[in-house]
Amino acid sequence: MATSPTETLGKLKQAARERWNSNQAGKTRVVVQVGHCSQAVGAREVSDSLASSLPDNAYLTIAGCDGACFAAPQVLISTGDGGRTRIAHARPEATVAHLSGAPNGAEVADGQAQAFFERQRRVSLNRCGELDSTDAGDYILAGGYAGLARALSMPPEEVIEEVKASGLRGRGGAYFPAALKWEGARKVEAESRYLVVNSEEGEPGVFKDRHLMEGVPHRILEGAIIAGYASGVKRAYIYINAEANLSAERVQKAVDDAAELGLVGDHILGSGYSLNVEILRGAGGYVCGEETTILNTLEGYRREPRLRPPFPTEAGLWAKPTIINNAETLANVPFILANGAAAFSKIGKGEASGTKIVSLSGSVQRPGVAEVPLGTTLREIITDIGGGPPAGHTLIGVAVGGPSSGVFPTSMLDTPIAPGRLHDTGIMLGAGGVIALDERSNVLDVVRRLAAYNAKESCGKCTPCREGTPRIVDAIDRLISGSGSSGDLDELRYLSEVVSLASLCGLGQAAGTPINSALHFFGDEMAALATSS
Amino acid sequence: MTSERNEIRATLREKFPRDRGQLLPALHFLQHEFGYLPDWAMEVVGWHLGIPASEVYGAATSYTELRFERPGEHVLRVCTGLSCWINGSDEITGAVKGELEVQPGGELTNGRVTFEETPCGFVCAMAPVVEWDGKWQGRANADSVLALIRGGAEI
Repeated sequence: MATSPTETLGKLKQAARERWNSNQAGKTRVVVQVGHCSQAVGAREVSDSLASSLPDNAYLTIAGCDGACFAAPQVLISTGDGGRTRIAHARPEATVAHLSGAPNGAEVADGQAQAFFERQRRVSLNRCGELDSTDAGDYILAGGYAGLARALSMPPEEVIEEVKASGLRGRGGAYFPAALKWEGARKVEAESRYLVVNSEEGEPGVFKDRHLMEGVPHRILEGAIIAGYASGVKRAYIYINAEANLSAERVQKAVDDAAELGLVGDHILGSGYSLNVEILRGAGGYVCGEETTILNTLEGYRREPRLRPPFPTEAGLWAKPTIINNAETLANVPFILANGAAAFSKIGKGEASGTKIVSLSGSVQRPGVAEVPLGTTLREIITDIGGGPPAGHTLIGVAVGGPSSGVFPTSMLDTPIAPGRLHDTGIMLGAGGVIALDERSNVLDVVRRLAAYNAKESCGKCTPCREGTPRIVDAIDRLISGSGSSGDLDELRYLSEVVSLASLCGLGQAAGTPINSALHFFGDEMAALATSS
Repeated sequence: MTSERNEIRATLREKFPRDRGQLLPALHFLQHEFGYLPDWAMEVVGWHLGIPASEVYGAATSYTELRFERPGEHVLRVCTGLSCWINGSDEITGAVKGELEVQPGGELTNGRVTFEETPCGFVCAMAPVVEWDGKWQGRANADSVLALIRGGAEI
């Protein structure tokens, strides 16, 4: 090989730097964070208005959101002399006025932002919200694709070993060691293998993959290429939620740009490795994020899980070995390859290495997307990062991990987040949804909503789940309406167990968890309801 | 109708290889064209991909984001997820239900606005949120949503 991948990347970086020097150096950088969330509160109007009224010494950059959703829409201004300003709740006229130096009502909110970011450790979200999400050059200048260049100069087996040593586990909710999937698929003799990037993100309360796709799409792509190289894949599919249009647009742009730069396609970075990447869209439903269900969707069948074994790494898409990795998992891979396994494994606590992105919402003053080391407690997330409930409200519990998980009372807030289970009742971190609950809600209603969601989303393939989940809802309804009895509590316990034991996929297996957690932590309240009639 | 069928057949031939894996992309395309999936359009997809219409229908109806009824001129979806609920989505749905009339079959509409509830819009940090014609609006309240409905009905 004439030039190494690292040298080829160096040339791309040089070209990006030259472009930056001639177009942007010395000018004021005005970053508007336009994402799925901020679009809902006017970010697009801010960016449109700035596009037509920017002073000559400034340039506009469209980024994804940095996760400080409470302050959205946000504009970050960096002047040529190093000055930095964060404008929160940006409005078009006030932002334009601020840039021209006129006194105005633009809200500069660094204090709140500092409190929000202080305890975070950003690996997968590193510089998300600052980098131009539509420009590969920006990502490359920030050190992007260095992990890929290093990986391509190593034998695939060594890449697998490196990621194994880092302790990286799947961030979609199952926390299966990522490199074991790669190794598993690699070991199967097959003429073709596939990689599916799971960006379905259909778990209520979770919005972190959208932030990654909209803010740092190249990082997911880089991770996917490394995973593809390590496992001997020639074709990768990025599977994106049907409604996440902005995410799909940004990821598509990233793939197209990467193809143009030789980072995707034939002979990536001048190496012998080639990978084609295609984007596909889901069509809705919680179970669609389940990995074997994705396979059915990609093949044009009903959204139903498949029986395992065979596992997808043995026989997945079109019966070929298939690796399914969550977008966040892959977004951690470039860091591991660029900085080494040890740099990654020292983040987090003990076995639980690395960070987790949590989607924080509900009764908090600073809702948003936060990336924290595993081992961080729920209290730190809700109180330190989220600022606790708004004035006048009192926390009563926290729903963690979505409809497949459950509700903790406030006495459990010192529970550290960890891969997998957080408590014997089955409460788990899942994809990282953390919803703070206050006195405006009550636990039984919360559990009823989670249970009703599971009942509605049950695909119907397994009878215990199809028939059991609605009966769980019925029993809760009887308790709520005051017509319940202690028999309903027994029925809830029984149904939860049956549905968990006799269902094929995670949706059914975990459908009893909200019930179990409520019976465990809020049993007295439920028993009182059961005997009140 | 026949000419419309032929037109769609031609478009499908152009855009989608005859491979079962194209089912969802093709259905998405048609939903985008029509705002929903008419039965006849699903038959055409079946012809094109070599899948019996019954299977197309069976697969399509298992996905929650696909629609099978023609929606009103405007579609309003109110998120009823936990964060939105805690932050007041009940007040929004209450106000909307008061504004619109219940139709036979349970559909809520004022003739122009189709109202639906959705379990999560994945915009939880902006709760409560509603979606109006495919566009999410965060930090909503009953008044802002009623304004949408009334404004939308007059347009």
